[in-house]
Amino acid sequence: MVKQFSIFLENKPGRLSNLIDLFERNQIRVLAMGIAEAGNYGIVRCILDAPEKAVEALRNANTAVNLVEVLIIDMEDLHNAVKVLGEKGINVDYAYTMDLGRIVIKVDDESKAKNALSEAGIKTY
Amino acid sequence: MSIQAYSMGKKEIKEVQSRKLKEVVARVYENSPFYRRRLKEAGIDITNFRPEDIRKIPFTTKTDLRDNYPLGLISVDKSKIVRMHASSGTTGNPTVVAYTKRDIDAWAELNKRCLEVCGVTSDDVVQVAYGYGLFTGGLGLHYGAERLGSKVIPASTGNTKRQLKLMKDLGTTVLACTPSYALFLSESAKEEGIDPKKDLKLRVGVLGAEPWSESTRKVLEEEFVQSAHDIYGMSELNGPGVAIECRKKNGLHVWEDHYFVEIIDPNTGEVLEPGEKGEMVVTTLEKEGMPLLRYRTRDITILDDEVCECGMAHARIKKILGRTDDMLKIRGICVFPSQIEEVISGFEGLTPFYQLVVDRDGPLDRLLVKVEVSENFKSDRLTEIVDLQKRLEEELRDVLSISAAVELTEPRTLPRSEGKAQRIIDLRKI
Repeated sequence: MVKQFSIFLENKPGRLSNLIDLFERNQIRVLAMGIAEAGNYGIVRCILDAPEKAVEALRNANTAVNLVEVLIIDMEDLHNAVKVLGEKGINVDYAYTMDLGRIVIKVDDESKAKNALSEAGIKTY
Repeated sequence: MSIQAYSMGKKEIKEVQSRKLKEVVARVYENSPFYRRRLKEAGIDITNFRPEDIRKIPFTTKTDLRDNYPLGLISVDKSKIVRMHASSGTTGNPTVVAYTKRDIDAWAELNKRCLEVCGVTSDDVVQVAYGYGLFTGGLGLHYGAERLGSKVIPASTGNTKRQLKLMKDLGTTVLACTPSYALFLSESAKEEGIDPKKDLKLRVGVLGAEPWSESTRKVLEEEFVQSAHDIYGMSELNGPGVAIECRKKNGLHVWEDHYFVEIIDPNTGEVLEPGEKGEMVVTTLEKEGMPLLRYRTRDITILDDEVCECGMAHARIKKILGRTDDMLKIRGICVFPSQIEEVISGFEGLTPFYQLVVDRDGPLDRLLVKVEVSENFKSDRLTEIVDLQKRLEEELRDVLSISAAVELTEPRTLPRSEGKAQRIIDLRKI
């Protein structure tokens, strides 16, 4: 299972730029990113190529960050995957696309979802 | 001397107060033209003065001190004055307070008592990180700690890295500073790679000069100092050392052999009963250089006259709930920053740092409360954050009786201060 970074940011010009700058300075690549906003703040959710380095960099920058387990599947499996999850009563909380024709999915029960998908022969990353 | 002060019973305290009240009224009548005029105008009979007559004496206010700038309220010959402190005069003249040799001595004794009540002994290393200079915090605690025989580090404010280095290298066990600076030191320690619980030996925090809440105590005691005590004072009443929290931390004991306390309704001036919330009014019983009769402190609190579980009979005031000057009038309703602080403290993932912005939208006042999230803030589910914000707004409305908008800010974005925290921005043009 993959760890996603969920970062609390104020919804103001320049904040996102600061964050991406921080990644650049620490040679951390963003593999996938989605933003959810509500009023004056938002959450940046992203998959990063160097999670340990990223945790350290974000902590040093006093960022409010949470690590969340997510599933990554190939886009071509999307139809089957959501069907399997639905049948097993697993809810998809949110999802966003990623490079390489993949999609990041956050569900309410990660291990159950992973098992269900693997039983159905769907590859997860 | 001090053993006697701790063991005084209620009856003894009342007797001492009655005697000293009569003495101080007679003394200012004799020596201060200002008070002689005031007392005459109020028709006070000095020779047959009874303790209950105190209620007939008009209040002394900060405006009286300013109007009689600089030394119009002293009650001794100027030659007997050995020290003068002054408060920051943000508007108009500063307030000057004057001490005789005897006053300095009594003030040191009161601060020694306060430190002892917190469990400080001559073996302790006391770092005084209040400002030294015109502000009374630094010198007040300094003299008290020195009188107790502790090892004093007169660090004063600022230079946070050096403060931490001194704590570590000199083995500081007692820290005296403002609560907001203690929070800042605690945060900075972690940034410097210092684990306060392992690398420092801070046993006691003597924290005052601004109101602070139980939530701040919780954070400080969990992360920084074993036992955090609130100390109360103001330069007009010598400085720090007027009241102190004992180990029970259920209110601050006022040294009643030096200060006579009344709680009044700030609007009508009527004296309230113990248990009722109002403005604290203090008559100094021992001050020689500049005694004050019924001085309006502008601090809002509640008096508790029961004997404390710690055994001391000196009456207690509750942690200061706010100041009549900090009191914001928003849409005609009185709001104290401390009320907001208490609400914030009930929520997980928020820091004790906040800022109030009052603005005006047409004829209507708007209150915006900026609340800083901590690094442990749950930041994945937007619905949870929206929900938290909504609950904060609802609770603020319940507590304040007016609506306030909450804005969540990122960690370490609201201003920190090394002295008193600046938490209110009033943008209303009135």
